[in-house]
Amino acid sequence: MRLKLILAPLLVWFLAAGALVAPAGVVSEGSVLKLEVQLIWGTNDPQSPDPKHKPVESAVKKKLNDLPLKWTNYFEVNRKAFEVPLHGTTKVPLSEKCALEVTNPGDSMVEVSLVGKGKGVGKRTQKLPKGETLVLGGNAPNATAWLVVLKRIE
Amino acid sequence: MNYDSQLRLQAYLDGELPEGEAREVANWLARDQEAVVLHAELRNTRKAMAGFETGITLPESREFFWSKIEREISRQEQPQREPQSVPFFARLQRFLKPASAVAGLILVGLIANQQFGLLSGTGGAENKSALDDPGAFTYHDFAAGTTLVWLTYPAQNEFADSDPTDTLQ
Repeated sequence: MRLKLILAPLLVWFLAAGALVAPAGVVSEGSVLKLEVQLIWGTNDPQSPDPKHKPVESAVKKKLNDLPLKWTNYFEVNRKAFEVPLHGTTKVPLSEKCALEVTNPGDSMVEVSLVGKGKGVGKRTQKLPKGETLVLGGNAPNATAWLVVLKRIE
Repeated sequence: MNYDSQLRLQAYLDGELPEGEAREVANWLARDQEAVVLHAELRNTRKAMAGFETGITLPESREFFWSKIEREISRQEQPQREPQSVPFFARLQRFLKPASAVAGLILVGLIANQQFGLLSGTGGAENKSALDDPGAFTYHDFAAGTTLVWLTYPAQNEFADSDPTDTLQ
């Protein structure tokens, strides 16, 4: 009985210590960010005028449909997978005019800079845990939209 | 005169003898001069004592008064406790109990933080946008793990030229 009374608090202490140490392990494990970026065109037209464009995957379409966006169809213009080392920056060209710069400051954070025509369009800093997605978007001509969908793979 | 005779005489004086025995004592007093002297002395003593017997009244009931005395006696009779040496495990346990409660709270807080991102989740203060676009807005879909940042820039005249997909390519 006495042994149980002593072991129970010790167990709680070990669990608490484990919970304190665990996040540090997660951080060191995720030092390199593996990401995938898609450049997407959103429209209400059933087809894209560019035959190279293909409809986005159903999972991506569902994700976009869950967002407060008014477009019904989304076409993938470009897709790239890339890695960002810890404290490093990777620039990914998405089109002739558009590129994405991603910096990995650690702790699952990402600094995402969108570059258009050589100019910084915007910068977003946030946590991006595995499986989560960051979507940058804006209006395009003829009531369409451009979308940059950044997903963390690892 | 023996001690029993003296006691009988005292009882006669106090009116405590039965009638027959009291008559015998009265006859004895008529015959014995020594008994008469003792009887007179006892009567005088009683008279003298009667004036000094003042009644004492207690401020509380008799039972309560005696119960107080009884309690005081039993309190004083209780043996003093000897200081006991506390075993090491008992001391350790005394420390571990509150410390474990604190550790448990910290554990719950850490788990809640990891699960729901209360302190540093995707919806926390670490998220920020540095945009040259005051019209931009942000939307979080916590269930899907998706963040949408909608920019008014690039405007249609910046990226788009004439082709509808010019913004993209």
